[in-house]
Amino acid sequence: MSEILVYIQIVDGGAGDVSLQALACARSLADSTGGSVTALALGYDIGASVADLVELGADRLLVAEDDRLSHYLTGPYKRVVRSVLDANRFDVVLFPATTEGNDLAPLLAAELGCGCVVGCDAVHVKEGKTLFRRTEFDRKVHTDYEVTVGPAIATLRDGIADIPALGERRGEAQSIAVDLGPADTRAQVVNRDVVPKTVNLKASRVIVAAGAGVGGPDGFALVKDLAEALDAQMGATRAVVDAGWLPADHQIGQTGVTVRPDLYIACGISGAVQHWVGMSDSKTIVAINTDKNAPMMKRAHYRIEADLKTVIPKMIKALSA
Amino acid sequence: MSVHAVVIAREMWDTRDLVGPVLDANGAVKPGAVSTRFEPQDLNALESALRIKEMVGGKVTALSFNAIGDVDVLKECLYRGADEAIRIGANPIDLDTAAAATLAAAAIRRLGDVNLVLVGWTAAEGESSVLGSCLAGLLGMEQISFVDRIVEAGDEFVIGRRAIEMGEEDIRVDLPALLSLGVALIEDDPRAPRPAKAMLKLKHKKTEIPVWSPADLGVPDPASNATTVVAAMESVPERVIESTAVDPEDESGLKAMLERVLKGE
Repeated sequence: MSEILVYIQIVDGGAGDVSLQALACARSLADSTGGSVTALALGYDIGASVADLVELGADRLLVAEDDRLSHYLTGPYKRVVRSVLDANRFDVVLFPATTEGNDLAPLLAAELGCGCVVGCDAVHVKEGKTLFRRTEFDRKVHTDYEVTVGPAIATLRDGIADIPALGERRGEAQSIAVDLGPADTRAQVVNRDVVPKTVNLKASRVIVAAGAGVGGPDGFALVKDLAEALDAQMGATRAVVDAGWLPADHQIGQTGVTVRPDLYIACGISGAVQHWVGMSDSKTIVAINTDKNAPMMKRAHYRIEADLKTVIPKMIKALSA
Repeated sequence: MSVHAVVIAREMWDTRDLVGPVLDANGAVKPGAVSTRFEPQDLNALESALRIKEMVGGKVTALSFNAIGDVDVLKECLYRGADEAIRIGANPIDLDTAAAATLAAAAIRRLGDVNLVLVGWTAAEGESSVLGSCLAGLLGMEQISFVDRIVEAGDEFVIGRRAIEMGEEDIRVDLPALLSLGVALIEDDPRAPRPAKAMLKLKHKKTEIPVWSPADLGVPDPASNATTVVAAMESVPERVIESTAVDPEDESGLKAMLERVLKGE
């Protein structure tokens, strides 16, 4: 029997997608082992936005609200989650494998002296043991880890489970006290530059993405023209977002979103693992690059070794013909 | 207070462009199937520590484990500007993250005056957890994770910039603190990481790197601190992609390719 805690990350005022997937994974695990699921959400003025977590799979919902929790910061968040772990017995604690989850989970594990596996693609039970699966060695090897000192803490990657429809489940919701001391708030955010979400790349069937290889505004404008000609959404690597050509919600990869479109056209993208993990499940990949040895060119279904400034106008012409 | 920074420098599997199966018939990593390299995130940690030293003075100590391949990361640290290097006499392949962190924390405590620790956030592949967070927990240090670059540093504080899901943020921590770093600095800044210097290679040609055994560190059986075990490893069925080269000069070929991919073929 597994008592499971799921940490719910608040994104844009509501429960984040990867957290909801982790909740679905926990529900499935609890149903197969006869345990229960507790969801834990931290933030400020979030009560209404997380009220449906019970219907989405939790047996119990814990909510910690305080204005000092309005933005994520390691110290205060760690203190609150730690207090919940100290006051309850959990066998498994699941976090989303996001910046926030990957920051908190191993730190808590170190403090508690228990085991932690980050970036898991699957959780399964074998011969009574809960195993956490990571994909390693350039995504060539599946490694199953068993945590030998519990509670087992893990972070789960985007795509681990489907988010269920709202159900009829009933459960208990309760507020928990937030008790923070000066030691918990020693670190300070001195600058935060975050943009509101304007695009849903996950729902896009066709994505045209730009990387540093577009070279500058002229190259980027061409990629944008191709996206418009295909009625596609635009994606980007982090270098393009850092250059200010697209807002952060277009970023695909480790610190962006994970997408699985029918068609992904990678323009000037080398294919570093930080980007690849966010789009490797695309059904068809087309790569345009001057470097035939770029990893993306080796992994694409169609590879066009060319300067995008010469080939994209031809592609747009072909589409309009 | 001056800064004494410790950089954890790891020799890790080089998982780029692996060709052929990685595992043998028993599910173990095949000898010779994977080479090693200086973990890129740890290179960023070294570069960041050296930049902090240039800003505020102080000292940089590199810390590593026994070699697993042909890359001597500690000599590399000395050649790039680290002041001293210490090897922990344990094989990292035999240790999970918790066990490795226990040894590294003991070594940092033994150094005595360390007020800043820098380490790559995680090895790119092939590691089950994150050493930096484990170390921060064991040492009781404030941490900033996923740091890409140092914005500002003083004798008693550091401001690190990190990417978050919808943007970036700058976080200030007072020392002592631990920073775990990503790879953006060395990918974006052509001056980073700094190369080895010929003068330093000459200077350290005969430098003997001290080895501290687990017993020296008061951790005679480091594997006993493990909190995870590998239950199984298996090869992922290879995703066979029939990659087709498209001639960029052939407009009809481009058109045909676009028609195929838009139909989902």
